[in-house]
Amino acid sequence: MSVRNLRGPRAWIAFALCCVWFAFTVFPLYWVAITSLKTPPDVVGGPTYLPFVDFQPTLKAWRELFSGIRGEFYSNFWSSAIVAVSSSFFATLLGAMAAYALVRFPFRVKLLSGVLFFVLAMGGFLAGRYWLGLPPATASILSFCGALALSVFANRLALPGKVMMNDDIVFWFVSQRLFPPIVVAFALFLLYTEIGKLGFKLTDTYLGLTLAYVAFSLPIVVWLMRDFISALPLEVEEAALVDNVPYWRIFFEIVLPMCRPGLIATFVITLAFTWNEFLFALFLTNSEWQTLPVLIAGQNSQRGDEWWAISAAALVAIVPMIVVAGLLGRLMRSGLLSGAVK
Amino acid sequence: MTRDDPVKHLFLWPAFLVVLAVAIFPLIYSLANSFMSLRLVPPIPARFVGTSNYADLLSNPRFWQTVRTTSLIAFVSVALQFMIGFGIALALAKRVKGVEFFRVTFLMPMLVAPVAVALVARQLLNPTMGPLNELATFFGFPNLPYLTEAKWALGSLIAVEIWQWTPFVILLLLAGLQGLPDDVYEAAELENASPWQQFWGITFPMMLPISAAVIFIRIVESFKIIDTVFVMTGGGPGIATETLTLFAYQEGFKKFNLGYTSALSFLFLAVVLILSLVYLALLKPWLEKYK
Repeated sequence: MSVRNLRGPRAWIAFALCCVWFAFTVFPLYWVAITSLKTPPDVVGGPTYLPFVDFQPTLKAWRELFSGIRGEFYSNFWSSAIVAVSSSFFATLLGAMAAYALVRFPFRVKLLSGVLFFVLAMGGFLAGRYWLGLPPATASILSFCGALALSVFANRLALPGKVMMNDDIVFWFVSQRLFPPIVVAFALFLLYTEIGKLGFKLTDTYLGLTLAYVAFSLPIVVWLMRDFISALPLEVEEAALVDNVPYWRIFFEIVLPMCRPGLIATFVITLAFTWNEFLFALFLTNSEWQTLPVLIAGQNSQRGDEWWAISAAALVAIVPMIVVAGLLGRLMRSGLLSGAVK
Repeated sequence: MTRDDPVKHLFLWPAFLVVLAVAIFPLIYSLANSFMSLRLVPPIPARFVGTSNYADLLSNPRFWQTVRTTSLIAFVSVALQFMIGFGIALALAKRVKGVEFFRVTFLMPMLVAPVAVALVARQLLNPTMGPLNELATFFGFPNLPYLTEAKWALGSLIAVEIWQWTPFVILLLLAGLQGLPDDVYEAAELENASPWQQFWGITFPMMLPISAAVIFIRIVESFKIIDTVFVMTGGGPGIATETLTLFAYQEGFKKFNLGYTSALSFLFLAVVLILSLVYLALLKPWLEKYK
């Protein structure tokens, strides 16, 4: 027993306070679960608390939900599931690749070429709009590609000024989380709309929403995966290198399997983020690929006080993540993740 | 070992390109738009207006009102999250009874979709059908206007934020507490230091760096709040609970005033950056003192 453990009355006070917090944590979840089992009179007639004692539970709300009487519920559920799973998958894969490169190889990016990209992209866009009279989408695509090509070229020149190393690049990735997402969500909505005018539809499509989610999950994935990958031993990779195994096989056949616990943890964290995400879905989708959170947010204004139906819909959004969290906890206990803790 | 191989670019570039194209470039695009007068409804041709969008915003009392509201929600809820979270993390680190059970259940709120949380909160706070008001009536209080009066609505939003995000604080602080070395506490025990002295003399200073990081992450994230407000109050009553993100959404999606909205989102970014810099500057002497 450690010296830090609680003893005597202090232990009981701490336990009592934890129980209070537990009640506070669980009560709302309990409430939404029992409300979904209530009949309309049980809801409207004032609060009731205990199934079978206060009120007779019924599955009416659930039957209505699953029979799809109340709108396109299945479609929202599946678009949520498909977008969340696939964007977490791609974010984890691309992030792990980037983290691997940043852990194992030296990179040098000159600060000045980054500034050059910024100036060229913005200047090129404004110039394209005003002097050449291009539509916004064309101007932005051209200025983006031009600025990128020129700054990559400039990076090879002997530019003065600060040189950014791997840690700075990781910081660059992570600092994206600092930006309020509304800044990008709104601009992305405008860009997608403009690109749509060129005949390439991105608003309310799988690709558009998934791209946004991948980009917004990448910072956290790169940050987490960098720690997991740098904890791996080098010897196996070195042995493979001596045998002339190409890098892509080292990555997919040695590195990824070795950091599987880290990959699973990262995937689950990303999944929770993309499944619950609201703002991007609100801006970038409207019907076909609308996700569950947007549908649920609209319930209140559409249905007023039909709490039994709203609760059932909300539970559909809540339960998968609780299950996923439970699975993750299980994996941690069973020792699958012990490699990450070492 | 220094290895260098052109293949490194193949590994880094996919992620780099996605972030550059989908997160950085829209930022530049939006910055360019913020210097223009651009409307969709009614459609008028775009023209360059310099900084007048910014000047308009800075003299708009509604902007300052939303900055105040957002800061209030962020600071009060993060302060309470930190205090409650630290207490619970301490109890869990000291292996309170039922620690295994609490550790799992306490994390649940973090994973629930904020919009769903907000809907549940609306039910709980409902004036006639909600249990909270019944409880209040039982103890002889009047029916409280949880979502329809400015002060109560703000309080309700803060309570929901605390419910949802204290688990995050618990998670990180618990990890930090478990990493503290035992020998310092053993020495303190030999010196007969009281638990209170041990906390302020050892635990708190040693936890300062991770506490600073947790508070920083939470404040930055809280400033982005929209889902809960959107569902619970819609910014009302009036604009009493309107946050920055919601204001930008209203301007952009209801009024389609694009240049103005872009300028607004950049001012928002500036607010967050200034805040972060001030926070880091204030914190620096403390972190160095305890190094």
